Amino acid sequence: MIAAALSTVTLAVLLVGLGLALVQARRWRAGRAAAVDLWAGLAALPGRYLVDVHAVVGRKPFNARFHALSAGGFLAALALLVLLALPPLRHPILWGLLAVALATMLAGGLMVGYRRRVLRPPELSGGRFSRLPLALTGFAAAFLLVAADQSAGGVLPVPVGLALVALGGWGLAELVFGVWKGPLKHAVHGALHLVAHPRPARFHDGAGRDSGLRPLELAAGDADSAPLGAGRVLDFAWNRLLGFDACVQCGRCESACPAFAAGLPLNPKALIQDLVASLDEGDDGRAYAGHRHPGHPAGAGASGPSLPLVGPRAAIHPDTLWSCTTCRACVQECPMMIEHVDAVIDLRRYQTLELGATPVKAAAVLEELRATDNPGGRDLARRLDWAVDLRLPVLADGGACDVLLWLGDGAYDLRNQRSLRALVLLLRRAGVDFAVLGADELDCGDVARRLGDEATFQDLARRNVALLNGRTFQRIVTADPHAFHCLRNEYPAFGGRWTVLHHTALLLELVRSGALPVTAPLARAVAYHDPCYLGRYNGETEAPRALLDAIGAERREMARSGLRSRCCGGGGGAPLTDVVGERRIPDQRMDDARASGAPTLAVACPTCTLMLEGVVEPRPAVAEIAELVLAATEPTP
Amino acid sequence: MSEQHPTARRRDPRAERAARTVRVEPRRRLVLSVDVVPQTGGRPRRDPRARRAEAIVQSVPRLRLDWTGKAVGASALPTVEGRGPRAASEPVLRVIDDPACLLFAVLDRPDGALSGHDRQVLAAARLLADAAGGAVVAVVPDGGEDLGALGADRVLPLPAAWADEYAPERRAAAVAAAIARWSPRHILFAESQDGGDLARRVAVACGERLFAGVESLSSARAARRAGGGATELGCAPPRLLSIAADAVAPLGAVRHEARRLDPPPEPDGVPALQGARRLPVDPDGVGLGEADFIVSAGNGVTDWDAFAALGRALGATRAGSRVVCDAGHLPRDRQVGASGTVVSARCYLAFGIAGAPQHLQGIGGVERVIAVNTDLHAAMIKRADLAIIADAQAVMPALVRLARERGHG
Amino acid sequence: MVDVAILLSVGRHPVSGRARRAPTDARALEMALGLPAVRRTALHAGDPASPALRDYLGMGLDRLTVLAMAHGCDPVEPLAAHLRSLSPGIVLTGNRAEGGEDSGMLPYRVAHTLGVAIVPDVVAITVEAGGGAAEVVQALARGQRRALRVALPFVATIHPAAPSARPSAFGPARRGRIDSVPVEAPPDAFLAACAARPWRDRPKRLTVGAPGSGGALDRLRAATEAKAGQGRLLVGPSPDEAALAIYECLQEQGVLPR
Repeated sequence: MIAAALSTVTLAVLLVGLGLALVQARRWRAGRAAAVDLWAGLAALPGRYLVDVHAVVGRKPFNARFHALSAGGFLAALALLVLLALPPLRHPILWGLLAVALATMLAGGLMVGYRRRVLRPPELSGGRFSRLPLALTGFAAAFLLVAADQSAGGVLPVPVGLALVALGGWGLAELVFGVWKGPLKHAVHGALHLVAHPRPARFHDGAGRDSGLRPLELAAGDADSAPLGAGRVLDFAWNRLLGFDACVQCGRCESACPAFAAGLPLNPKALIQDLVASLDEGDDGRAYAGHRHPGHPAGAGASGPSLPLVGPRAAIHPDTLWSCTTCRACVQECPMMIEHVDAVIDLRRYQTLELGATPVKAAAVLEELRATDNPGGRDLARRLDWAVDLRLPVLADGGACDVLLWLGDGAYDLRNQRSLRALVLLLRRAGVDFAVLGADELDCGDVARRLGDEATFQDLARRNVALLNGRTFQRIVTADPHAFHCLRNEYPAFGGRWTVLHHTALLLELVRSGALPVTAPLARAVAYHDPCYLGRYNGETEAPRALLDAIGAERREMARSGLRSRCCGGGGGAPLTDVVGERRIPDQRMDDARASGAPTLAVACPTCTLMLEGVVEPRPAVAEIAELVLAATEPTP
Repeated sequence: MSEQHPTARRRDPRAERAARTVRVEPRRRLVLSVDVVPQTGGRPRRDPRARRAEAIVQSVPRLRLDWTGKAVGASALPTVEGRGPRAASEPVLRVIDDPACLLFAVLDRPDGALSGHDRQVLAAARLLADAAGGAVVAVVPDGGEDLGALGADRVLPLPAAWADEYAPERRAAAVAAAIARWSPRHILFAESQDGGDLARRVAVACGERLFAGVESLSSARAARRAGGGATELGCAPPRLLSIAADAVAPLGAVRHEARRLDPPPEPDGVPALQGARRLPVDPDGVGLGEADFIVSAGNGVTDWDAFAALGRALGATRAGSRVVCDAGHLPRDRQVGASGTVVSARCYLAFGIAGAPQHLQGIGGVERVIAVNTDLHAAMIKRADLAIIADAQAVMPALVRLARERGHG
Repeated sequence: MVDVAILLSVGRHPVSGRARRAPTDARALEMALGLPAVRRTALHAGDPASPALRDYLGMGLDRLTVLAMAHGCDPVEPLAAHLRSLSPGIVLTGNRAEGGEDSGMLPYRVAHTLGVAIVPDVVAITVEAGGGAAEVVQALARGQRRALRVALPFVATIHPAAPSARPSAFGPARRGRIDSVPVEAPPDAFLAACAARPWRDRPKRLTVGAPGSGGALDRLRAATEAKAGQGRLLVGPSPDEAALAIYECLQEQGVLPR
């Protein structure tokens, strides 16, 4: 009797849950088509879940533990409950197993309760999520009693048993219906997102990292063709929408986001939730019970599947969109593998390419970039002006050299000319056969692409690829991680495949090979700031550190470093869009540096140099790594 | 130098020996008993210690030296060098009674006074007139100036009121009528805002083309910039030309008779542009790129009320360095510098700005920079035309007081 | 409600020399897009294949009419003829094109040919309710502004201080239509008579200080004095002394009344 009731309730709830999941699926299936290999994704699902997802979740061991206990127990319990629906299988041993699974889950549920009710991390959302511990423990405890009772032969009075089944059924319903909008959305959507992920190469079974933006199809379209980028939520591909829907509002992105920390009006979690709310007609986003974008109250704009996403009175305020530095800290932290930066870029592409709604200063830079092939509007023939005395060899069309030095836009900046000069002197000192492109080098297009101006980026990329393919060299070396990322990860889509090195990697190689003997070890404390486009985008965190160790620096790690480094605030065109927050991102990063106690902050990116050196003194001195290496390898007379 | 520095005479043995010499032939004989001091030959010796002591302008917290010799002690203040009257003799009056041709110099007289640009136009007309044996006719709203001293042989007065009121159509009609009557060989205008407008109106009224904004002028060739600044168009000076600012040096030390001609008849007809009136302009509402007088604050400014009061008292547009705008003391559109706005003000008054390279790039086009800073070695001090080593917080209220005393606060 | 025509030229970037939208023409289009217009007609006289025309379409124009003519022709007659057939209430254009003769004469010649008034250096236009006249604001030197009342129709040239033009977007630029109308235009004899050569920067003639006798010594003095600036330095004066020095310097520069 009780067993039958239990089975009925379980199956009914699961069936309703399945129906809800199908209804949900229709929402994101309304998005644009995407090429997805579902079978390969399904085959890779367990691996992606156990390796990639848990690598992220495991950064907080307590969470990993309660997750394993509650989710493992819940899945096992569900499987056993379904089996127990068949009367011949209702055996005390099976009931015993169910009791064990539910006890495991109860332990996990209690840990969840402890975290949500006692620890209360600020980044967690409230609302329906607050009921999660109750549902977990209610379901587990009630059904645990029933299962224990059944394995013992059924000693409980029937009304008590039925009451327990009802309580457990509520808990189960809360959990399963939570697939609709509640905490357990991520169970189904997260799994499907892992299957149909738009960047399968980012998982351990692929390249392990996939950070280059996808080219936008720009081939001549007519008035009826689909808009460029995402103006409405349905302009996203369906598997992107699935990804947004998988968000479990854990807030890890929020605590990693440099813009949010500086009080800029951007919270990546709220941004994803804005997109999710836009999927439903008449959802004003008020059900969302987490932190909003700083300075922007909830429900300020109208949202819906067919309404514009971005605007002062729309779901997403333009300031929110243009606050992002594209540093990928949110992507790095997201356990659901959501690609926030791709979403931001898709939204920006529509704003820039279709509406021309780029913020004023950024738009002016893009216009200069289109007219002169560099963002400052300067004469390309003057790219080498700073180095007239160095007589840099220029690689002409058809020429050959070993190392092609990509100078980038830093060649126009007084500060960065100093670090480029150091790099050139080091290459000379080590006897490297190198050359530059001189006046032929165009801007790599990084800033255009991050600001959504895909047309200008593709134009620059095609011409740069043609330019580079006309010359012979072994590898490209650049001191600019943004150019490094473009050349290495984004130009292959346009036919440019070369070995690209960041200058720290080359310098390390030269120091290790003895071409650059260390004569004057630094012997002072140095903190190293990882550029986002070198670290998170390319995983290159070791070479700069090894280089600093090799030149005798006493290396200190800042509060956030390596793949979890905090952005300097200079990426993604953020200095151009210049959204005002409570503080500036570079000031915050400099606080990290101050806290490390090191008198010198080593940087490896021209943008980081400018942003961090722009912080008001007193502050640690900012030195480009090449400058430190130059000082440490001064030849002894 | 020698009065200020205690100097020791350098000994010159050769001169001393010559002074002691009483006889050379047949053998040199010297008088050794007397103490002979040669009259010439001793070069003053520098005393580096004294020089250094004099160059010290600040010893705490850091030693600051000024080797330029420009540092003026507070006691020597204020020393505005007056330009004395020229000692040159009065120039001789030149009278051109029977000119081969006439040349019109159509002057602006903006705001009721001849501008430097007007003088340059007269000089340009003089240049063409002297080559052709012609006479220069200044066509100008009537005023009190002695146009003869500026190079005008004749004056064709227009109604004096036109200098102040905005009547471009009537002015153009009057000039066109005068051209029809006197048939000048060349008509020169100032390529200023109103002068350029007048020139174009006159050109279309005469059915001729204007060679606008002449950058270089000789009697044989006029040249102007075209093609987006990439091309120089040159030709023999055409009939109508307008002279760009600072392209021709104004005349000095000339005297012409400036004989008055009969004014042209007042044009009739109702002008289409009516009811012109100046709009009150809030200095802080003016775009930085357009602003004429900017008072700017940097990291050395802490008293923001005094800064705001100073902007109001001087009627200046307020601006700031990047740090100041980052900190939110001023809105972002008030930021001067390479990453903010590049300004081209006539006067830039900087308080507490050290002068980062990006900031100096932003004030590249400024005519005169006044800097107040506590650090003598700040880059801004080097750039400044008037540099004051003092605390901005003390100078700002004093300047506000002074401006109010002088009656425009 | 008013019928607006905008005359657009192809600009030239001062550094790269690449064709682009001319800055003041783009501002003219921006102003036209902000006016309560019943019809906006954008006109260009020249080469319909110039890529810079797409930059104007990218600002939100559906179409752009190009009076196709060869380089070196005088566009005034064809433009005036086309405008006469449209009879717009307001014709807007930049106060100076870049890349051609750059004399700023075209708007005056067009206005004269059409027989309508011309208002130069406009930064704002408000059309009166009846649509018969407009309140126009002109930019003057040093950020000053002057307001006028002008009866329609008129030609207005737009000053660089007018509100900046919106960015040009790729999508609308690609979709916009360019209607090419071949026209007969006479060659520009005035321009043909001029000799063109590349511009070389030469030092500006300095007019610092009072005019001297024009002799070499004066010119040298003027040049060297300007190079060195005034270069006065006051170290540690009292606040009042500093204020007086600044005040006198400001007076000397003419930004404060004497």
